Amino acid sequence: MDETTLKQSETAPEIAIEVNDLTFSYKADLENTAIEQINLSVPRGQFVVIMGPSGAGKSTLASSLNGLIPGFLKGRYRGEVLINGQKVKGREVSEMAREVGLVFQDFEAQLFSTNVNLEIAFGPENFHIERDEIVRRINKVLKTVKLEGFEKRQPATLSGGQKQRLAIGSVLASYPDIICMDEPTTDLDPIGKLGIFGIARELHESSKFTLLIVEHETEEALHADRLIIMKDGRILKDGNPDQILRDVSFTDEVGIMSLHIPSYFNRVLRINQENLPLDPEAGASMFQEKELVFSEEKYSEIIKREDDRDTSYGDTILTVKNLVHVYPNGNKAVDKISFSVREREFMAVLGHNGSGKTTLVKHFNALLAPTEGDVIIYGKNTRDHSIFEIGKDIGYVFQNPDHQIFADTVFDEVAFSPKIRGIGKDEIKERVHEALKAVDLVGYEEHDPFSLSKGERQRVAVASILSARPKIIVLDEPTTGLDYREQKKMMELIKQLNAMGHTIIMITHTMWVVSEYAHRVAVIRDGGIMMDDRTRNVFAEEDRLRESYLRTPHIVSLSNQVGKTVLSLDEMIACTGGSD
Amino acid sequence: MDMFLYMDVDSGLHRLDPRTKLILMFMSFTIAVMFMNIIILGSLLILVTVYGFSGRILSNLKRIRIVLMMITLFSLLIWTIARASDDKVFIFSLEGLFYGIMIALKTNAMIISGMVFLSTTKIEEIAEGLVKFRVPYRGAFAFATAIRLVPMIVATSYTIIQAQKSRGLDLDTGNILQKTRKYLPLMIPTFISVIRSTNIFSMALESKGFGYSNKRTNYLKLTMGAGDYFMLFLGALVLAAAIFIKVNPDIYRDFVRQFPWSEFSAGYYNWSI
Repeated sequence: MDETTLKQSETAPEIAIEVNDLTFSYKADLENTAIEQINLSVPRGQFVVIMGPSGAGKSTLASSLNGLIPGFLKGRYRGEVLINGQKVKGREVSEMAREVGLVFQDFEAQLFSTNVNLEIAFGPENFHIERDEIVRRINKVLKTVKLEGFEKRQPATLSGGQKQRLAIGSVLASYPDIICMDEPTTDLDPIGKLGIFGIARELHESSKFTLLIVEHETEEALHADRLIIMKDGRILKDGNPDQILRDVSFTDEVGIMSLHIPSYFNRVLRINQENLPLDPEAGASMFQEKELVFSEEKYSEIIKREDDRDTSYGDTILTVKNLVHVYPNGNKAVDKISFSVREREFMAVLGHNGSGKTTLVKHFNALLAPTEGDVIIYGKNTRDHSIFEIGKDIGYVFQNPDHQIFADTVFDEVAFSPKIRGIGKDEIKERVHEALKAVDLVGYEEHDPFSLSKGERQRVAVASILSARPKIIVLDEPTTGLDYREQKKMMELIKQLNAMGHTIIMITHTMWVVSEYAHRVAVIRDGGIMMDDRTRNVFAEEDRLRESYLRTPHIVSLSNQVGKTVLSLDEMIACTGGSD
Repeated sequence: MDMFLYMDVDSGLHRLDPRTKLILMFMSFTIAVMFMNIIILGSLLILVTVYGFSGRILSNLKRIRIVLMMITLFSLLIWTIARASDDKVFIFSLEGLFYGIMIALKTNAMIISGMVFLSTTKIEEIAEGLVKFRVPYRGAFAFATAIRLVPMIVATSYTIIQAQKSRGLDLDTGNILQKTRKYLPLMIPTFISVIRSTNIFSMALESKGFGYSNKRTNYLKLTMGAGDYFMLFLGALVLAAAIFIKVNPDIYRDFVRQFPWSEFSAGYYNWSI
């Protein structure tokens, strides 16, 4: 008896997180449970990734670990959560911060200090750590999150990835042994994402930390020890990531993005699940082993279709000539960019946070005026015309739909643009109907836009642009913050708009979206154009993309290794699966 | 976009203890409130501007130049019309114009003084300075956060205005009333965004241990040095001089008699040019 108690007090409990029968409903919505009957036990040192579609309860689970639920976010709480053997309920969030560090998706809102040092010092200060020790911790944390040399910088001047790393650092400084990150990479460009995953892996290797990450990126989940799939508030699967992700029919059904490689081999070979390869390298060797053939004939058909598409484009409608933009603070965001776009093209603009892509596209509808050079839309130079006039031809969908929406009903929101342009009542009705039909929201006219889901709000924002019937539509990261199914739906909508004759220019970080939908890609780097070509040609140059920290989707990588560049699973199957 | 008023320059003024700067600011406020005299308030404005110049932060005033200009313009215009005077030309009066100048000097001196303080003092220093003055930490932090919130709201509303302009909302034409009516609906998304982010902000605060105990250490080391005492001494000297002439009616009356056009306070008021 004595011996066991002694042992327990000597070492920290082996189970870091234990969740027993946890059920929770938010106060605002007591009828529906956000999570239901969750049972989970995470041993110390494990790296767990949680995935699932929107509304699965991932964030709710994350918030219950450090006591935000039920301390801060109130509601009906049943069951219990134990952290290091102690019940969370009843303890203060601020007290829990010593044991559980929680990092949020929104990196802007969680940083509030004047410089990096002070941001990191904030946690230890609260815990009454001596100043000398705080200085030691700052140095250590800066090294861990790779922000050495940024000590005196204002957080607002850091890039997205650096901000999120600082957010992680500010939590690490209190030395918690459990780190939980709630969608830390959603708003980040590929390089920013890579940085976060790099840190996560390093923390994991130091083995002291128990790591829980809520993620959208299936490809990254492969590196975890354990994968948990949630849907509708319940845990559907809990186990080895390799095994779960090989089960393509399951991931398809849940609505998370299935890995390309197992999906492909599952469809062309119909082999046993456990033998399916997971990544492009393993895929390439299986491709050879099973003597699959890449059909040049089928491939040239695809290329032929693409050539036809190119010749079918209309006149040049947008010309950018030697565009330079210098911000008032002297920062040169766009440096001598020239290109042109033809009617009905579908162009994706890629590049890291701060590469100048948003500055570039804001010139297209005269939100920004060129410092040097010209932008000409349908023959109108943006220098000589107001946003109002240019706006007749070009619509701009902002990244965050909540910056756009202000009406009480979906109808008023969508009717706003035509109304302001003095269009008659009957035609407004017609246009609203047409726009809502395009975004698949007919029947939602009288809904309050703010009561809709993020994906639906994003579609309302698109509809409110469509109702002005612009010929060109510019979209700034239309898929950010959406789950896979919502992303797919959004992109199908944009594809359809393109087919209806709209020219599309889209900023995005999501590579599979570019690969499957864009006709043409411009890669922006440090204010200049690094690549600008057909998507296929750009994605063929994996090495050059990697220089800009962009990675092609798995299926593209596989095709680059075994034959010619394909852009989607369907193309790959068409080129290789047609022989039998 | 730069969201903070604080300008990270290494100047003597920046290195002063926040308590010193806070006291100096309140001293300048006291003088501004105490007098209704164009010459004295004008000197105060110059003094405050020189003080800001020494901290190399006057470029920050560019950001509020519209506010400063509007205040000047409005007080000149309104007081020229509204001030009661014996010799009015139509509805305007020279006396009103001078009164307007006095009010403009007073307000701008206070705004610039506040701006110098905010441009040279980190938010954490303000909070810590207040704590040293025995304001409870939570209160001090709340105050500092309120300051932080202003630029955040400005930045959000800027994005929202751009988004609405893109949809065809014409915010640049029309009279003030029409413009106001157009801007009003934009408050909704602004507030919703701000409320959302402050909610996350407060969760992030608690998740970093804010409010764990009332005792707290501080990474910033606040020490009053020779420079601080020197500046406080200078400030006290100016304030003492100001009080001295204020409480000695004879001296003050002599001074006012020389420049009767500059004075508007009761008891000394005897306007003529």
